[in-house]
Amino acid sequence: METVWRILTLALVVIGTLFSIVGVLGLIRLPDVYTRLHAAGKVGVFGAALLAAAAALTAPSVLGKAIILIALLVIAGPVVSHALASAAYRMGIPLKRAVRDDLAAERDRRAALRDFLDHSV
Amino acid sequence: MLAYLRLTLICWLIYLAITANLEVANLVVGLLIGLAIALILKPMSQALSLRRLPGALFNLAKYAIWLSIDIIRNGIRVARIVLDPKLPIRPGIIAIQAGMKSELGVALSAHAITVTPGEQVVEIGDDGVMYTHCLDAIASAEGAEEAQRKRRAMLESIFE
Repeated sequence: METVWRILTLALVVIGTLFSIVGVLGLIRLPDVYTRLHAAGKVGVFGAALLAAAAALTAPSVLGKAIILIALLVIAGPVVSHALASAAYRMGIPLKRAVRDDLAAERDRRAALRDFLDHSV
Repeated sequence: MLAYLRLTLICWLIYLAITANLEVANLVVGLLIGLAIALILKPMSQALSLRRLPGALFNLAKYAIWLSIDIIRNGIRVARIVLDPKLPIRPGIIAIQAGMKSELGVALSAHAITVTPGEQVVEIGDDGVMYTHCLDAIASAEGAEEAQRKRRAMLESIFE
């Protein structure tokens, strides 16, 4: 039983570390802000959550902390990466290698509306 | 009154989970902190039917498991894209109709999309359209409608 537990913990540590490395690699290799946020904000969070789970298995006294930490990562992580992506788009940072952009039409429509309102006042 | 008590209790439990210390002094400190947070936040009382609670919790657990599987599957997919020497990405922003009336429903749908690696909501339109940036826009666009329908059904089973 002890051995099974050890192997499980070790597997979590190894997989968590691998995903953290993938997150950093993605941050370096991917071309623009939006794609980089996928790697840094999500895959990295996934790695950190696995490492926290491994810590909880090794030392049962940190179980509560690990659960809260994982919950916070899962709840707050997406909020952060959404805020960054949204801010980048509003600043007009272009997408690289994009195959489609449904938001561009919406943005143009809003800009035209704003223009119209500015001139009519 | 009930809303204050509920929030105090939740904060107290979280505090105890973080400190992992059941001495009387710590219990009292945690209770005081929970009370202070409840007083600052001024929660609004919400109807909470006890009869529906077990079902909602069960559906919440089902949703969490479904989301975890989705995160793992997409995490592996993104890892393979990043590790591939040719970097086979087809990034783009696609529009996904949330199809939900309440703001909470749209927000939780957007959260579920954003928490999965490879997809993230950049902007939400007035009519509940979620403009989603995808690492592989063509593959994501194919399955987006189906995935959103499933997500919607699960979220509605929790809140309604």
